[in-house]
Amino acid sequence: MVQYSYFPGCNLKTNAKGFEETAIAVSKKLEAELVEMPKWNCCGTVHTMTSDNMMRRIAPVRVLSRSKKHIDTLEEGTTKEVVTLCSMCNSTLKIVNHEVKQNHEDLEKINYQLEEDEECYEEDMEVKHFLEIIRDNIGYEKLSQSVVKPLEGLKISPYYGCMLLHPDEAAIDDVEMPSVLEYLVESLGAEVIDSPLFKFCCGSYHIVDEEQIVDTQVGKIVEAARLRGANALVVACPLCAFNIDHQQKIMKDKNHGKEPLPVFYFTQLMALALGVPLKTNHFEDHHIDPKPLLKELGLTGKKKS
Amino acid sequence: MSKTKTQTKEENKTPMVKIYIMGSAHEVPASLTIMKAMEYAGFKFTRGAGCRAGFCGACATVYRKAGDYRIYAALACQTQVEDGMVLTQLPFVPAPKGKYDVNKVSPTANTILKLYPEVARCLSCNACSKVCPQEIHVMDYIQYSLQGQISKAAEESFDCVQCGLCAIRCPAEIPQYHVATLVRRLHGRYNMISPETLEARVEEIEAGFYEEGLNELMNLPIDKLRHKYYHERDFIDQKKA
Repeated sequence: MVQYSYFPGCNLKTNAKGFEETAIAVSKKLEAELVEMPKWNCCGTVHTMTSDNMMRRIAPVRVLSRSKKHIDTLEEGTTKEVVTLCSMCNSTLKIVNHEVKQNHEDLEKINYQLEEDEECYEEDMEVKHFLEIIRDNIGYEKLSQSVVKPLEGLKISPYYGCMLLHPDEAAIDDVEMPSVLEYLVESLGAEVIDSPLFKFCCGSYHIVDEEQIVDTQVGKIVEAARLRGANALVVACPLCAFNIDHQQKIMKDKNHGKEPLPVFYFTQLMALALGVPLKTNHFEDHHIDPKPLLKELGLTGKKKS
Repeated sequence: MSKTKTQTKEENKTPMVKIYIMGSAHEVPASLTIMKAMEYAGFKFTRGAGCRAGFCGACATVYRKAGDYRIYAALACQTQVEDGMVLTQLPFVPAPKGKYDVNKVSPTANTILKLYPEVARCLSCNACSKVCPQEIHVMDYIQYSLQGQISKAAEESFDCVQCGLCAIRCPAEIPQYHVATLVRRLHGRYNMISPETLEARVEEIEAGFYEEGLNELMNLPIDKLRHKYYHERDFIDQKKA
């Protein structure tokens, strides 16, 4: 058993409870436990990218400092990795970690603000997305060996969105030909449906003020997957998940969407295949209920009717 | 005359310190609190003073010390003067307060963000925690409330006396102590298990169980009421107990 310091981010406690709970459950089954760090703060997302705005970088650097302290308290924490689930948090923390390691003067300025809180970042942490931990530390072999119920019948189209693959400092995989979600889906016994729109923008924060943009984007993403035979999508980002899930529901209600496709977090698929109790998924938070599809395929734990 | 005066002063030997109140120098006894020192110097409080026991949070104050660049903050009734202190008293902290009916909101991050959208501007700089005279981890409870962890936020903020110093220091202009009130109300209304005995008692009161006894007391003439209050009550003798 290895223990990782896990940084949740705000969405995992609000809109994406199923993402977090399934991730923790499967991490235990895979002997790579995610342990939530105490007293974490916002990763600092949507921080301005102006490189001289040090105030905006205090939050992510404080996360790195506190996660180091957390690792020191873990019994089996032998790594220097802070693990994230949200691809936005992953991106912000990775970029800032990279920046401060490059610019010692900047880090000194930020550390000066942390000093009175008896905190200090010593450039000794690595930020990892849980997908990287699965690929590099756990391995797909171990994952497929842990499967108790192969996800036969699920035809999954992986959707990466922008944050997992951009920019270079934050990318977890090849920017043009990513494979981490594909291998993961295959390891669980489901079929991979490749879509050319795997990183076509979901509309992002336009959901707040220009819903029409999200409508158009989501319509195209889902249609591309459906045309190629997918019956579900898999994502890693709570904002992508919300946009694709929620907007399909809106479009269906307005009668200009086709039969919607359910959206899964990758950890929810893992939980289903690894035999984690169904309620951990919090499917009640989804706008497109995945349960009818799972029931049809006999994957809910109950027998086919 | 002058000789005798000096002698009395030496006899008393009250150690004195020099402090600067709003820029002007005053000699005050070193043993006084900031609040008493200001009164000793002739100031009269009409605002910025309350219980004088560190509970009400009315006497927030900011000061600097001689040869120290830092700005300090404290409750004036709880902090002793030091030689060279430069200080003032804050009569009031202006901060916007959200209006809500606690029965019509939900215990979620969205409620916090609707009433206090500034919370999302938090930089995690921790200036609020550093200034808090109650030593509350203010930034952490603001973060908990942003994360929708209402109960954790309520517990973390429990000792708040609403002095408002956090709101003054915040670069994101968050009224932290009002957010704290909101999360504790949400916690009490939605997350806490309601005590059965209290509910039973409220039901009794509403059903008029105590009406008769109360009316009887209300209709008593003052001398009989006095007799009941001072002589017929069961007093616990503190000395014997």
